[in-house]
Amino acid sequence: MKLQELINKIALKVLTVVEDKDITGVFISDMLSDVMSSAQSGNLWVTVQSHKNIISAANLIDISAIIVTHNKDVPKDTIELANRYKVVILSSPLTTFELASKLLESGIK
Amino acid sequence: MEEINCAHSWTIVRVQTGFIITENCSQCNKTSTYFCSEDYPPLEEHREGDHYWNVMETAQSIQFDLECDRCHTIVTFKELAGLMLCTGCDEICKVEKIREKLEKDHVWIYVACGFLPIDEVELLSQEKISILEDYFNKRRKSSKSKIKIISYEMVNNLKNCYGEIIKDVGMLNLKPTELL
Repeated sequence: MKLQELINKIALKVLTVVEDKDITGVFISDMLSDVMSSAQSGNLWVTVQSHKNIISAANLIDISAIIVTHNKDVPKDTIELANRYKVVILSSPLTTFELASKLLESGIK
Repeated sequence: MEEINCAHSWTIVRVQTGFIITENCSQCNKTSTYFCSEDYPPLEEHREGDHYWNVMETAQSIQFDLECDRCHTIVTFKELAGLMLCTGCDEICKVEKIREKLEKDHVWIYVACGFLPIDEVELLSQEKISILEDYFNKRRKSSKSKIKIISYEMVNNLKNCYGEIIKDVGMLNLKPTELL
């Protein structure tokens, strides 16, 4: 599934410029070190973290998008850095568990 | 170290979780960092020779090795404290000059940071940095961008560098038991 299709399907809020990419799976963790060791290129990264160093981790692995859950506020400097490095950040008011369920229902595995 | 004539295909192995401990000496103001995999590293002020070390920060991080799927060569990265994205903060920094040149071609610059003090620790060799770069670029698969990894020796002023290092601060940081 493509990123834009998923955004439309489950009504994710877009916080940055979107570069449409193929989604290869989902990675759920709030630890940057986990992303560095275990996330795959093209994964959706689901997290509550919003500090700008998430961009450093996401960019290294070439994540397809970061989805920040629980309606956590994403600071302006994180968004600016994301746009600079073409890292897509999306937001959801759902809990991480609820969002994961939605992603499964939408066909993402 | 490497098998000759093998077009290596690296996989991350032996991932060890732990903490990057940052200490400062209250006598000479020297900063020291190290990786600790213990559950309870020393967090109280402690003396080592003429130094009186105080913990300034603990950050969860990992150490890992890379293994070639084809020839099973293992490369360790014990000298690596973390990777830091260069976002450009110092015009005279060598890393910034490289970033400025390559970023327009969608090559993102990461600094391979070792431990401190830089003149007292074993540094990551250029060969290992190249292997690390190769590994992360292959992991990016069909990406339209790539990364370049540079040694932290090229950073003009590590203390004032604004680069975003990949580490977890505040999530599972440690406190001395009397502060809990």
